[in-house]
Amino acid sequence: MKKGLQISFSWLFAIIVGGVILFLAFFASSKIITQGQYTVDTTTAKQLGILTNPLEMGFESAEKNTISLPSNTRMFNSCENQGTFGKQQISFSQKSFGKWSEPGSKVSFENKYFFSNSNISSKMLILFSKPFEFPFKVTDLVIIIPLEESYCFVDSPSEVKGDVSNLGLENVEFENCSKGSQRVCFSKGSGCEQIVDYKTNSILKGQERIYFSGDGLMYAGIFSEKEIYECQVQRLMKRVEALSKIYQDKESLLVGKCNSNLGSSLELLKSQAEGLKSSQDLLSIEKTANSIRDLNGGAICRLW
Amino acid sequence: MVKGQIKIQQMAFMLVALVLFFILVGLFVLGISFNGLKKTAVSLENENVLLLLTRIANSPEFACGESFGNRRTSCIDLDKIMVLASSREYENFWGVGAIKIRTVYPPEKEEVCSFSNYPNCNIIEVYGTDEGEFQSNFVSLCRKEVINEESFDKCVLGKIMISSGGVNE
Repeated sequence: MKKGLQISFSWLFAIIVGGVILFLAFFASSKIITQGQYTVDTTTAKQLGILTNPLEMGFESAEKNTISLPSNTRMFNSCENQGTFGKQQISFSQKSFGKWSEPGSKVSFENKYFFSNSNISSKMLILFSKPFEFPFKVTDLVIIIPLEESYCFVDSPSEVKGDVSNLGLENVEFENCSKGSQRVCFSKGSGCEQIVDYKTNSILKGQERIYFSGDGLMYAGIFSEKEIYECQVQRLMKRVEALSKIYQDKESLLVGKCNSNLGSSLELLKSQAEGLKSSQDLLSIEKTANSIRDLNGGAICRLW
Repeated sequence: MVKGQIKIQQMAFMLVALVLFFILVGLFVLGISFNGLKKTAVSLENENVLLLLTRIANSPEFACGESFGNRRTSCIDLDKIMVLASSREYENFWGVGAIKIRTVYPPEKEEVCSFSNYPNCNIIEVYGTDEGEFQSNFVSLCRKEVINEESFDKCVLGKIMISSGGVNE
């Protein structure tokens, strides 16, 4: 009876060592899988940045692209406004075995401006770009919407309807709003999540108001969170500042060859862009930008 | 030596061998995955360079806009580029190693441009001094010229060259 309960040393040793080895094997393989997932998420973020190159430096007035992802994916959009141009940062996290993986490394771009909510999840992303001119071409704004998110534009002007149908935005509908779609009203109405006011060039999003200049920023404002929008507007003004300096220097280089007389106006635009605190300041800077646009348009020697 | 002690010694050797075996397997797996990662990074950088090449001439810092008449694609304003080349703000802006612009036809003196020799030169180093592998694309290069106190537009054939910057090496 007593002999049956005895385990020899070699058995005990084999069980303990076997257990340790099995534990290490599971630990290592889970680490490798996590690391692999992290690599995939980081690569996806970099790929998205590269794939938006054609959208951004386009010659067209607007472009659209859809990106389908291998599995349900979360995109984290963040914006940093420190430094010369600030930074666009994105990271991804994918769903595997029913769980969201840890987000991959943040990939940064200085020359990109993505407008979306800070956290979107989908298997397919719709990206479209709209040019931003202030008064010269500054960049193409890239607006990202998940396919599952639907919007309903109520009382929208014909230009907006034309824009949306030209772009082929399948998740934007007009007037007859389906259940679950976000109502964006272009005149005062009830049950609107967002109200676009062309008189003040602003969008009321719940209790918060953001301001825009031009169609590009209007769409950007509708489809993105206030924090992302405000940060990107500040980054855009940094680019306006840098481009104003380039045009000022170009004018100096061309003295004697071709005169434009825009130097002082560009200096004013530069200082106003530098002093922008929030999108509300866009309204005053827009006046300067418009007068510069007229001056350049009428000049014998156009700077842009 | 007692039989039990010999057994323990055997087990200890076995354990050391097993640990060494797993370390080698781990190193092998890591080597393969890092190699794959580097390949991915290289292909992503090359993809970035190729896509940039086709479009960068239309970005506001490079594009002719309406300075030389109607808006045209793949047209670079050389006067603007001279200013851009002297600015340090744009380093890292496009996320590539180096950008150069070279006139192709008509041939010019083989010389890097500076404000003192412009426009009698043929290479503008927009930024970066990378001597790595460059990918290129043909573009038209336009600038303002003055002859007999009359200003006119001069456009020549050129190339924009971009290197990915170090990942390939």
